[in-house]
Amino acid sequence: MSEATLERGLRALKEQIDTPIASFFSSCTHCGMCATACLFYTETENPAYTPINKVEPMRRVWEQEYTLIGRVKKALGLSKPVTDEELEEWKEYAYNACSLCGRCTVVCPVGNDITYMIRKMREGMAASGHAPEGLVGASTRAIQTGSPMGVKLPALQAQARHAEKDIGIEIPFDVEGAEYMMLMSSMEIMNYPEYMQAVAKIFEQAGKSWTISSEAFEATNSGIQIGSSDIARELVSRIVNAAEKLKVSTVISPECGHAYTAIRWDGPNLVGRPFPFKVRHILEVLDEFREQGLLKTEGFEEAKMTFHDPCQLVRRGGVIEQPRTLLNMVASNFVEMSDHGMMNWCCGAGGGVSANEDAEELKMKAFKRKKHQLDELNVDTLVTACANCRIQIEEGLEENEMDIPVVGLTEMLAEHLVEEKKTEG
Amino acid sequence: MTEITNETQFREALKGLSLSDQREVGARFVEHVASMADDERIAFATRVASNKNAAVDELAAAYKSAKAAAMDCYTRCGADADWSEQAGYFVARAASAIVVPEKDIGSDGPAWTAAMNGRMARTCAIIDNNADAESQETGQQYRILEDYLNS
Repeated sequence: MSEATLERGLRALKEQIDTPIASFFSSCTHCGMCATACLFYTETENPAYTPINKVEPMRRVWEQEYTLIGRVKKALGLSKPVTDEELEEWKEYAYNACSLCGRCTVVCPVGNDITYMIRKMREGMAASGHAPEGLVGASTRAIQTGSPMGVKLPALQAQARHAEKDIGIEIPFDVEGAEYMMLMSSMEIMNYPEYMQAVAKIFEQAGKSWTISSEAFEATNSGIQIGSSDIARELVSRIVNAAEKLKVSTVISPECGHAYTAIRWDGPNLVGRPFPFKVRHILEVLDEFREQGLLKTEGFEEAKMTFHDPCQLVRRGGVIEQPRTLLNMVASNFVEMSDHGMMNWCCGAGGGVSANEDAEELKMKAFKRKKHQLDELNVDTLVTACANCRIQIEEGLEENEMDIPVVGLTEMLAEHLVEEKKTEG
Repeated sequence: MTEITNETQFREALKGLSLSDQREVGARFVEHVASMADDERIAFATRVASNKNAAVDELAAAYKSAKAAAMDCYTRCGADADWSEQAGYFVARAASAIVVPEKDIGSDGPAWTAAMNGRMARTCAIIDNNADAESQETGQQYRILEDYLNS
């Protein structure tokens, strides 16, 4: 990558201002509804965290470069140029105080996709050297090792060996012609190895062939989080190449929100062509198995439980009904949060916030919104489908002295699989 | 004389134990890997799990502190992986498993869950040099269970 400078950043911002961005800036009515939809604003009441304010430097570039009045004001010295100091100040607003959750986009009365704008803003921030150090490190590792956490193949293989011993089922690597190629997030490999075991058990029962690629197993896309289309494209390309090499029909995004957005929705646009395979979130695949009668469970959890919708699944992907249908297979006392589905509140740690040490304190303030939701319900268990949400919620519950176990939906389903009686040969 | 030579025997023997016995033998599995965590909260959990007369509130306190220990050492999303430190996370998870409240016990039981997390901890500790320490830990767990059953 070339050196990050203000000049490069401003050029990147200009390049990012496409027709939608220009129309969004033109149509913003400054109503403030996006503020009330943003948990970083509601939990701090800091007006600087109003979503549309997070792109203010880009708005000024748009006005100064692409509007008549802005050009006149610039020529007369009536508008100040965007500076390095200003972008450094905006690092807090565009990264620490935004999880790219998309709630602001949903409530905007004129239909501005503010999340899209913030992602464009981050392109300029990264190019000008104003991205948080944590995200720079994660992106560098992703390019160099394939994983933002530096998880290399031997580590994954060691975890796979552990899973095989634990459950007695092979974890397949590099199987050409397998129907499904499973991606993993480093978070799952490191912190929740039971996810891999759950997947293996479910696919074994369903009788479906699957594989992990040793060349591209990582789903997380730091390029999306930091705001670098080049990095995002490179990471998606590796997955596409591996899927094509193994000739799989479907690539499965794991329980990781941004990974799903990156590979399913942004992926084809990033690489500039349609994929010759389908991309599905693991919950979509499990629900397809259920429809086909391939997911057979027994018994019910009696604990009162609720589901935390990962933002990228519901607001970007429309995966709303599937987790509920699946939960109802194994949960007899499922209750919804007051805002759920499309309007669920973020856990506070998505969009690179969790990788950003500068945002540590703020993400816990943002978690208070989830705490309020949970306080209303008094549940025994919280279920979710994103490893990053899960660790943030576990940490938030711990900090707030709330004793609620957090489990992954895929794992919960695997716990209830009907055990096939093996006949002695 | 009970002898454990494979995973099936290991799992069946653990399943046959009462809950308090599972907590106690699980504590021994945790003690075997506890040096990778160096955390008093782990030791507290093993002491409580080893006490067959531990009160419900003692178990709850030990569970809470073991979970807090796990939260203190997990690897943040996007952070550079330090497998040695990550071993401490799995030791803490193993410690949580042996003092978990009865209502939250999964189908595998506390001792098996502790054993698996103990193996994960051992795997993490040597992951960069790819040695097969997990097999060694498995063998050690068989001996621990044999000693427990034969005592």
